[in-house]
Amino acid sequence: MRNEDWKKISRLVSKRSLWMVHFCTGCGAMEMPPVMTSRYDMERFGMHAMATPRQADILLITGYLAVKTLKRVVQVYEQMQDPKYVIGFGSCTINGGMYWDSYNTIKDLSKYIPVDLYIAGCMPRPEAIMDAFLKLMDMIDKGEAIGWKKYRKYYDQYKRNQRMAFAYRLDEVKEIKEDDAK
Amino acid sequence: MMAQELFPQAQKIREGRIRIETTKDEVGTILRKLKENGYDHFVMLSCIDWINDGEFELVYHMWSYEYREHVMISIRVDRENPTMLSLRDIFPQIETYEREIHEMFGVNFIGNPRLGDFILEGWPHIPPMRKDFDTEKFVKDFYYKIPEVREE
Amino acid sequence: MVIEIIEKILLLSGMVALGFIIGMFFNGFARKVTARIHNRVGPPIYQGYLDVFKLFAKKTNISHGWIFDLAALFSVAGIALAFLFLPVAGISLLSTEGDLFLILYLLAIPALGFALGAGASGNPNAAVGIMRALMLMLAYELPLVMVIVAMMVHYNTTSLATLVQMQSNFKWALFVPQFFIGAIIVDMALQGMLMEKPFDIAIAPHEIASGPMVEFGGKHLGALMLYKMMAIVVETTLFVDLFLGGGVVLSVEQYGWIAYLVNFLVWFALITFVFFLALLINAVFPRFRIEQALKFYWKYDALAALLLLIWVYAGVSI
Repeated sequence: MRNEDWKKISRLVSKRSLWMVHFCTGCGAMEMPPVMTSRYDMERFGMHAMATPRQADILLITGYLAVKTLKRVVQVYEQMQDPKYVIGFGSCTINGGMYWDSYNTIKDLSKYIPVDLYIAGCMPRPEAIMDAFLKLMDMIDKGEAIGWKKYRKYYDQYKRNQRMAFAYRLDEVKEIKEDDAK
Repeated sequence: MMAQELFPQAQKIREGRIRIETTKDEVGTILRKLKENGYDHFVMLSCIDWINDGEFELVYHMWSYEYREHVMISIRVDRENPTMLSLRDIFPQIETYEREIHEMFGVNFIGNPRLGDFILEGWPHIPPMRKDFDTEKFVKDFYYKIPEVREE
Repeated sequence: MVIEIIEKILLLSGMVALGFIIGMFFNGFARKVTARIHNRVGPPIYQGYLDVFKLFAKKTNISHGWIFDLAALFSVAGIALAFLFLPVAGISLLSTEGDLFLILYLLAIPALGFALGAGASGNPNAAVGIMRALMLMLAYELPLVMVIVAMMVHYNTTSLATLVQMQSNFKWALFVPQFFIGAIIVDMALQGMLMEKPFDIAIAPHEIASGPMVEFGGKHLGALMLYKMMAIVVETTLFVDLFLGGGVVLSVEQYGWIAYLVNFLVWFALITFVFFLALLINAVFPRFRIEQALKFYWKYDALAALLLLIWVYAGVSI
């Protein structure tokens, strides 16, 4: 019981002091400066950008991810200290967005790392981003943002998906292999 | 000297745009000659897959700040066994374009030591920019088939 | 005997806790002031407490060996010791004869702890950052030490407590013409000590990814932040003790416990003011390169300090 109370207090405080590292791929990085500066000012909620993943709580991925970039994202994610949260930003992280038929970008980020919150839109407006931050705070407060626990629990599944994507090869899919033989 | 005076076979497409069609062996000579005559900016190297002709077209783009003229030197290489001599000794930046074209089209540039993984790491299939690579099918068979993480 | 010792220990730990509490307040204060200058709303003023709490509540996934673990503690302990040697509002708990020298040494210890941690992490950004931090220390200590030597000569003492005592009844060193200039010189050095812009070369988040702190996260970063917050209190207190009479306005013999309270409040107001000045400079300046900072300190600051030293020597002999 006392441990539960402690966790509750720690969540209550932690949500007011979220530091984030943004992994700026694609065009999403463009929407961050207004969020950080005087127009929308996310520091009101105690959030600010950190220089390294070690110091950060939120990993914000702002756009499409090529497979080569995904390797770096996984590395950055694993460097962060628990508890850590991932926000997928824009439709590129949800289903590939305008890169839905690209041979080299992953389509669904949550297959490779656990995503706590998606922001839909191409591009999401700064208001949507602020709303997402408030939503994430709410989720942390209620104890729903448990992506980092999921990553530990289903580590083998996440790793399997990552390995599959990195090798550009699915064992179940025979056609690609036949193409290869030709 | 302007490109049309240097090479009589050059066609003028429109004002400030020249196209020279030539063969594999002469590209080096032409590039060197253009470089000496004021065309000192190598813009880029591009590649087109002419699948019905069974050929790749490699286009070397040059630009002159002096004459404000864009020269394209176009060559055709065989699609079955595409090889080309690396020209990185003339303009060092060609090396990067050669790496990219090697990866995306599979053209082998002889004399370039850095051909290998560039943007696609460990790509096991046919080069993705070739016309016979079915991108949509690949995406549907590969990315969409990766299973979601199942929670018990 | 035993009771005295326990009393002393309680006093000392209370003092350290006070330093941390004020330091954490300063963190939020700094961010709020900077935000207002940038025309933003800024975080709440108690943000520093939240940040430290959060960092200590985080789990530690990564460590780089025991030197890395202990380095942050080393820094915190060093800065706490330096704080105890400073007279705060006229109260000096560990003050002895010659503590002006001692404080200069103690101020170097936390930076070395910082360097140990950065070295143990093995990150190249950390190595670059710590090299810059130590170089900057070398740069600002030269004018600082020269001004302090000039003060020792003028007031004929090496004890900070005596210095504070001599400045009571508003005979502040700031009102002596020589040390008005001295205060300006030390204020420049203070900007470097606080690592505020234009001297935040060692941290430089956009350039070398926060330098020595690059590998620190969670509890390690929490300890380092405590050190940085305490360092603000220590360095501004040093300035206030040297030039502004340490915040002593009422004598304890005459007014009793009210004097303690008033002195403490005045001291707090003065260090806030000194820090506020540094923040104003911080909010509007870009960053120096390391060689520019070195040139600034050694060419202008140190030269002025040297002239000041000569002036004070001449004044003494006449």
